[in-house]
Amino acid sequence: MSSTGVKLKRLKLGDLLQRDVWDVDEARHIEVLDQRGLPIKALLLLCPMGCYTMAGERLLMSYEGCVECATCRVLSNPHQIRWEYPRSGRGIQYRFT
Amino acid sequence: MGTTSKFDVVIVGAGPAGCSSAYLLARAGLRVLLVERGRSAGSKLLWGGKAYAQPIREVWPELDKEAPIHRWVTRERFSFVWGDRILTVEYKLGRSVAFTSYLPELVSWMARKAESAGALLVEDVRVDEIVVKDGRVVGVRSGDDVVRADVVIDAEGVNRMLLEKLGLAEKLDVNSGVALGVKETLSLDSKLIEERFNLDKGEGLSWLVAGDITRGLPGGGFIYTMRDSISIGLVIPIGPAAKAAEEGILKEHVSSLVESFRLHPYFNRLWREADVIEYGGRMTIEGGLSMMPRRLYAPGLLVVGDAAGFLVNTGYTIRGVDTAVYSGKLAAETVIEALSRGGFTEDNLKAYEDKVRRSYIYRELRNHSGVEDIMKDPFYFTKLPQVVVGAAGRLFEADYEEPTLIRSVVEASRDAGISLVRAFFKLARVVRRL
Repeated sequence: MSSTGVKLKRLKLGDLLQRDVWDVDEARHIEVLDQRGLPIKALLLLCPMGCYTMAGERLLMSYEGCVECATCRVLSNPHQIRWEYPRSGRGIQYRFT
Repeated sequence: MGTTSKFDVVIVGAGPAGCSSAYLLARAGLRVLLVERGRSAGSKLLWGGKAYAQPIREVWPELDKEAPIHRWVTRERFSFVWGDRILTVEYKLGRSVAFTSYLPELVSWMARKAESAGALLVEDVRVDEIVVKDGRVVGVRSGDDVVRADVVIDAEGVNRMLLEKLGLAEKLDVNSGVALGVKETLSLDSKLIEERFNLDKGEGLSWLVAGDITRGLPGGGFIYTMRDSISIGLVIPIGPAAKAAEEGILKEHVSSLVESFRLHPYFNRLWREADVIEYGGRMTIEGGLSMMPRRLYAPGLLVVGDAAGFLVNTGYTIRGVDTAVYSGKLAAETVIEALSRGGFTEDNLKAYEDKVRRSYIYRELRNHSGVEDIMKDPFYFTKLPQVVVGAAGRLFEADYEEPTLIRSVVEASRDAGISLVRAFFKLARVVRRL
């Protein structure tokens, strides 16, 4: 069955993110201030939403897909990453979790 | 300009703990404000999927009739997975003590209960600070607005930034004993769920999985049956996972580990038609006493739920929602008793800590303390499943002669590259702690 074939396909992170609902805040709530000393590989692999990416040597954080799990907060110091919750109720809107 | 108003009690966070306190205090006639940063209570919450009912019934006896319960758990499974060899044990319960649900749905119900008891629920508001004046908590601040209260109950959850700001908790770091939970919700027809998991209508199954599904990282997998979906995911301690990533041992993104779990042939046959309807992650507590702050109270303040580190992980059961609700109940009782004893003096609030220490929450945390150390030791997540599954293989994959049980364990230990003596002591340690 072709439909079964689709379900057996490995989903990329981008496909998984499409299942979710966000109300993105226009204001950035997480920001890399100083990437020196950060465990970059850990941030790239452990942020469940893949918010951290590299642009050449530079570590980028795209806050739009963030679920506010705070894993990156645990992996950093306040002078390396500024971490806040989004203002009011913006950000991820979990439903079936 | 900011505004100021005054309540008897302000509760930060409308999760299981906050809603429990709000409900009981409002019912007792107090003026209660319950502040939630999510657009609706529960919208920021994610869990595995199972809660233990009895402690929750102590707050809401109508739980069974009214709450959005998906399934009552009647089967518990545990599997060791190594490659294509898997050892599974199933226990069919004599009576169900736990149920499955979506946490946003369950908490939304709890918040409505608190509202109907008279608590004022304000959603969509982020509390920025717990306000202290002359050494005493006097309220909370959000932006320019300050709300004053005789007592603040901190139910902010595991990422306890407000408590850190007050200096009552250390900043979370890789040694804090926190783990990352990553999960997928898979939609599946309820009849198919019952057929495939061998369940009667309305019954549920809870399944913990250890082995190479975490690629040698500490932690494990979970599977819970919902009404018409399956919740699957992994819980991985952040410290060891970060170390493995930095050392190049972990090479894949965590979502790829969850996808491999979903597609694992042994498990996937149970939900092969299923669509992924949601994906997400949330931080959780590994278990034990390590996340409990030195003090659970301060003048004008009580700390409940995950913020207080109240998650019990025994290795085969994990409970955080019932302990949260129960701690909310203990805090509410403390506040009500303090009122009749002349107010919220430090002595009267200290009663909360005494109540916690006499409760099942503290006993469970203490009795299973050390599980968080086990959670950090790769032995239990690489060698142990290898030995268990390897020994089973020697027993069940013999063409002619089957070794004795002891012989099969000795050989499997040798193959896994550990001495039997070491394995024995490690096992004794784990059995003693569980």
